[in-house]
Amino acid sequence: MKLTEHAPIPTPWAAAEALGASAAELAAFHDEPPQMASGAVGKTGYLRLGFERRGERTVLAELDRRTPFMAQRALYPDEAMPDLAWVFMITTSGCVLQGDRLALEIELAPGARAHVTTQSATKVHSMDANYAVQTQVVSLADGAYLELMPEPLIPHRRARFLSDTRIAIAPTATLLYGEIVQPGRKHHHPDEVFGATALSLATSAARPGGELLFAEKLLVDPVRRPVRQTGVMGPFDVLANVILLTTKDAADRVHARVAADVDLANGVAFGACHLPNDAGLVFKVLGRETLPVKAKVREFWAIAREEIAGTALPPPYFWR
Amino acid sequence: MTAARDGAAGLAAAARLARFLQFGDSMFPVGAFAFSAGLESAIQKRVVTDAGTLESYARTALEQAAMGDGIALLWAHRAAVAGDLDEVARIDALAYARKLSSETRTMTVRMGKKLAEMAAEVTGAPLAAHWRARIDAGVTPGCYPVALAVSFAAQGLPARDAFVVHHYGVAAMILGAALRLMKVSHVDTQRILYALNAGADEAYEATAAARLEDMAGFAPLAEILAAVHVKAHVRLFMS
Repeated sequence: MKLTEHAPIPTPWAAAEALGASAAELAAFHDEPPQMASGAVGKTGYLRLGFERRGERTVLAELDRRTPFMAQRALYPDEAMPDLAWVFMITTSGCVLQGDRLALEIELAPGARAHVTTQSATKVHSMDANYAVQTQVVSLADGAYLELMPEPLIPHRRARFLSDTRIAIAPTATLLYGEIVQPGRKHHHPDEVFGATALSLATSAARPGGELLFAEKLLVDPVRRPVRQTGVMGPFDVLANVILLTTKDAADRVHARVAADVDLANGVAFGACHLPNDAGLVFKVLGRETLPVKAKVREFWAIAREEIAGTALPPPYFWR
Repeated sequence: MTAARDGAAGLAAAARLARFLQFGDSMFPVGAFAFSAGLESAIQKRVVTDAGTLESYARTALEQAAMGDGIALLWAHRAAVAGDLDEVARIDALAYARKLSSETRTMTVRMGKKLAEMAAEVTGAPLAAHWRARIDAGVTPGCYPVALAVSFAAQGLPARDAFVVHHYGVAAMILGAALRLMKVSHVDTQRILYALNAGADEAYEATAAARLEDMAGFAPLAEILAAVHVKAHVRLFMS
């Protein structure tokens, strides 16, 4: 067979490119940046992390990366779970820019346990052309355990950002995926409170065989749908969306211990709901500032760890 | 065919309007009166305190319904008109997977099942009977917007009518619950309903242009209120 007859091998960021090209919420922003072209080298970040259980520990058995994404090595700082492989995702560009097409893949082999986070907040810069897209593919085999807890997302004013997360999870595995979304740099500029032009955050999960568990797409479009409207954000500025996929028994135990309240006087609202198809729970938190929201997410994380891993959550690192 | 006849099934205009009213009536026995769509918690937690915040809350619910269930409804109607109940079932599963609280799932499947039964019994249309049989066999969740789409397609009624019944039903449910839960007058709720109805065309046009994968939403406070309701000790409504 001649080489030219081969179909081109699709790159991992091709999915991000296709998603951005077809998304209705980005249809008005297909103009090319005057700087580097969209999807050019340096704007197609790729990170693949493959975790496997080796003896007493989980190791980072596979690491593939492409600028601006990178990761160095697994660390084992967790005294309560010394086998838990911690990986800090790094981006050398420091922020997400117009024209970026980013792809993250995380795979856990049977029984592997990992914690993946970022070094710092993910800032999405203001855009005057094009948009940024990120795809995340997370696969968990039997008995695997993953805490995917990045630092907050901060969309600057006039940012256009689409994120699409697809999860494939075995029935005996556990995933805790916590996203915190700030309204912008609210103390920097008045336009930074929900000043992003388009923010589209989709998450869906299925069993390895393809059976759909749940799907959610948060579409923030402040111009067409005011975020202050009753029932949307109300008086709150920061949102946490935490998904806990685990067995039904574990989800029931966690749900029984998690309170729900809307406390307007103290500026915090939170509560957990059972996901469809016995997939687990979704825990949402709203607050006026990031710190109390992070504290609530930590409470939920601690309960989930106790009920599922059977260990306590160590105190937070002083620099986090 | 005379000028008085209209629609794919050639139903006379007056009969078509009467059937639209029958299925859109808040008295139509699908059990909507048992649900408040989170309003009960919103009032308890002082998120909704007066006619102004009630209107704003109902407007949010309508926008969310259009962006989510409304898209499922229109695609299910297209599939049902084509007689493709496998595609209707696929859409039903997608709509169900987007209901992230147990109370919203209870609401959509109870009302969906009731409507499917009613449509099969009342219209006698084979399509309605086939959809009811799938729900009864437990092979599809049977969400309310999908049942509404099938029952309208089975009667030869257009998608726009089904969409309007859904839109109106969400507002009527919340405003009906408001009369029983808070200090608000019939004049207030009718004035709010009148104002919300003005947005039906724009909502329909936007929804009709959407793809199935465009189903989305953004009402975190309403979702937290659903979580609060599940844990509440005193509850008058099922949601």
